[in-house]
This record gives sequence, structure tokens and C-alpha cells, in this order.
Amino acid sequence: MFLDLDKKPSDAPAVIDDSLEILTYGRLCSLVEDFGRRLPDRSLIIILASNTVGSMVGYLGCMASGVVPIIVNKDTECGQLSHMVRLYRPEYLWMPEADTNMPEGQRVFSAYGYVLVSTGLTAPDLHPDLALLLPTSGSTGSPKMVRHSLRNVQANARNVSELFGISPQDRAMAFLPMYYTMGLSVITSHLYSGATVLLTGRSMLDKAFWAMLRDGGATILTGVPYSFEILQRMGFFRMDLPALRIITQGGGRMSDSLWHNCVEYALRTGRQFIATYGQTEGTARMAWLPWPMAVQKVGSIGIAEPGGQLSVLDDSGVETFEGEAAGELVFRGENVTLGYAVGPKDFMKGDERGGVLHTGDIVRRDADGCHFIIGRRTRFLKIYGLRIALDEVEHIVQNAFPGTDCLCSGVDGHLVVHVTDGAEPENVRKVIVDKTGLFHKNIEVVQVESIERTKQYG
Amino acid sequence: MDNRDKYNAVFRDVFMVDDAALGDTFEKDSVDGWDSVRQLALTAALEDSFDILLDAEDILELSSYSKGKEVLRKYGVEL
Repeated sequence: MFLDLDKKPSDAPAVIDDSLEILTYGRLCSLVEDFGRRLPDRSLIIILASNTVGSMVGYLGCMASGVVPIIVNKDTECGQLSHMVRLYRPEYLWMPEADTNMPEGQRVFSAYGYVLVSTGLTAPDLHPDLALLLPTSGSTGSPKMVRHSLRNVQANARNVSELFGISPQDRAMAFLPMYYTMGLSVITSHLYSGATVLLTGRSMLDKAFWAMLRDGGATILTGVPYSFEILQRMGFFRMDLPALRIITQGGGRMSDSLWHNCVEYALRTGRQFIATYGQTEGTARMAWLPWPMAVQKVGSIGIAEPGGQLSVLDDSGVETFEGEAAGELVFRGENVTLGYAVGPKDFMKGDERGGVLHTGDIVRRDADGCHFIIGRRTRFLKIYGLRIALDEVEHIVQNAFPGTDCLCSGVDGHLVVHVTDGAEPENVRKVIVDKTGLFHKNIEVVQVESIERTKQYG
Repeated sequence: MDNRDKYNAVFRDVFMVDDAALGDTFEKDSVDGWDSVRQLALTAALEDSFDILLDAEDILELSSYSKGKEVLRKYGVEL
């Protein structure tokens, strides 16, 4: 079975979600098998994901039975979801029963608050290697997907298990969203290791989140930089959490002062602080900074994960694997995904990357082989750890305000949107907030006379 | 501006709503988009407006318009 779920002790706890019910590996396996039996082999399904047992059973059921899931946020705006359904023609939706925006369709069965709805559509042909589709952008509802094979997902689970030394005694705090590559990786890597997943959809500023962290005996906590800002603000570094052994971070660079506080916490309390680096295109993780290297290598993403290889491609096109260098970061490994899909025809495509990923991130490699990100070639920002594709935001604005030109820029955490006249800045901001769910204070709209495009891809 | 005006101004700014929306039913579970980002922004704005520093437990208590008033009372801010 997927992740060898059926090889774990059947009475061992697999998942505890916000209902606080303990789901054993034995029970999980029977739910996963049952889910698979309900769907024809190689069907296409959209999962409206939340961090709940119901949502997770759908994901595992698909992966175990050769059904291909497209995993999106359950709060995806209704219009965007309809667009995605029309574009990709999934045969089924797996969605919260309580969802009031229930589309037309026939209910097939339900479990743990989720219901399988048959759409009556005929799905496009799927390449035999295609196993999973994740959106490239967590927030803009972009229909652009990353195509994963089963091998990609299994390699990620194995690599992450190895680099954290995850054992069946571990209990992972899984609060990053399931539709986000790193959130999914936390779940798969811990189930692969026979550990327990503490699955929560609660906000980090909800009492129940802290109760689960403390009473659930979390041993590994995975977050993005913003998660650690909240943890710090909530006094996490002074809390008594005896079970905790690793705090780990991905999803962008944290501030140096926060980094130092994480290092100081780990040194003082005998824990590990491990920074990692990844992208959806590399199935969540590609590099890690083994503890205690964070003490010396402030802000570094470290070295290649087990089973992977990193290189640097400089401006003159020379690729090197060691020694000091600067240029684009290239990764090789089994977790390099197959490629993108922007329409249903792409589902028939095979592996377009051959295990080599040009990350688009510009790095410096030091003499010890540690990598530091110094820039980015591709056009996206990270806001609260989620990737915001600038092209998508421009598309949203231009659709909402025909005749208005739009160009986005900014830095991580702050999106700057330039628009020409014809659109009121406050209205533009409102549309972006509505479509993306971003916080309005992270968006600055500037009205300009005209937009100079020559530097766009510079 | 009295304390009530300052308090309402913080909510209007963080949640982009009118005064009419603010009341006993304005709470975390019913307000769209009241996530950790919003709640931390709310915390920071209240701290700036009233020149206070909230304890972690009190940040967790900021789960509705009404609860926020109770929290502020603990810091000597009467609304």
C-alpha cells in the first residue's frame, strides 16, 4: 500500500485531528481501501482540502489506488473552482459535507465529514506516471499545476524521514495546509515513518492549537518563517514542551534576529533547529542545514537532502558541484517532479525534467558547500509562506478591470501592484483580497500613467 | 477621539468593515478571513492605539469584538 501504511502496527496511532479522536493505522488502512474501492482506477478528482481526517483519507485513498487528485484549498473562491472544474473535467469532487457551495452532482458516499460527489464529467486522458497535481500558487487559485509521479511523493517521504530521523515514537505538529506542498510532505513523511500526525486546521492564535501542541506531545514542529514569528510572539521559546525535539523551517528565509532566537532556543534547551529549502516543483524539500550548522551558517539553506544533489550554474553557463560559486541553484533527485500542467492536454505529458530542476533561485555557495539564497529569477513572492505568482495577480486585475494595464512587483511579504488609470487603487486592492485571501495590508496599489514593460523579465 | 472610537477604528482598519458590522456577533467563527494574520494585525494595532503590551494568553482571548473589550479592561482601558 501507499507509504507501506499496511505494514505499520495496526493499533499504533496514525492521526489525531481537531476532533481529538485517535485514528489507528489499522482503521486508516481500511478507510483508505474503502475509498479506493469507490472510484474507478485512474479517475481524476478534485480534493477541497482542509487539515482534517476526512480530507486526508481522500488523499491517501487516491494515492493508494491510482486515482489522481488535484488538491486545492477548500476555501477556493467559487468562481475559481468552477473554472477549474470546467477546465480539467474531474469525474469526482471530495469535499466537506458542510460546504454550502455544493455544486450539482450525485453524492456517492461520505466519511469523516467529507462527501464524494460525482460530476458526470468525462476526464481527460492521464499519463500512466501522473499521480498527483498540486497548484503552483497557494493563494491566487491559479489553475497552473505541478505534475507529480508516485515516485516523487515516495522519494520525498523517504528523504524527509531520513533527514529528521523520524521514528514511530515521533508526533508531528501538522498545521501547514494540506494543499501546500510542505504541509502535504509533513503528513506523508510521518505516516511513511509510522509516526503520529497531529493534524490541525486551527489558527496558531487559537487556544486549541496550543492545547494540541502541548497535550499532544508534539516532537517535531514544521513551520514557515511567519509561523515562527507567531511562536515567538506567543512566548514559545520560554514554554515547557518536554517532548519536543526538532523545530524545522522551510518556505522562505526568516529574519536574522528570528534565526538567532531559534538557534539560541535550540542550544539552551538541547533541541535541534533545522532550516530546509524546497519548492512544489521539487516535491517540497531539496536542501537542509544539519544541526548545529545553523549556529555558524546564518540564513543558509545548507546542503542537498539525502538522495539529492545540488549544483550552481553561473552566468557563463558553467555548472559546478563544489567550491565557492554564485548562480542559479540546480537540483537533481528522485523528487524532481514531471513538469507543469496548464490545461487538460498536459495530463498526457510524461517526465519533462528527467530528474533535473532549475530552481530559479540565485544562490551563493561557500567553501564548505553551504548554499545561501541571494535572489530569484522567477516572478513570485512569498507572503506568509505561500507563493504568490505575480503573473496570476496581473491576470486577476486585468480580468476585473478591462482596459487597465497592470504590473506586479514587491518583496517577500509585500506585494506592489502598479495599475494605469481606469481602476481605483482601493477597488483593485479589494479585488485582489477577494480573489486571493491575502491580507490587505500586504498589498500596495500604485496608480501610474503607463507601464514600462522592457524590464519585466530582466 | 475617545477609547470607543479608537477601538472601532482598529477593527475597521484590520477587517475593512463599517461600524455597522461591529457588535456582539462580530467574532472569529463568523467573520470571513479572521485568521492568524488578521489576529496578529489586530493585536499589533490595539497595542499601538492604546500603548499597551498584550500577554500571550490575552492574544488568544481576542476572539471577538466583545472579548476584545474585556481584554482591554484588564489593561486599564475602559470603553
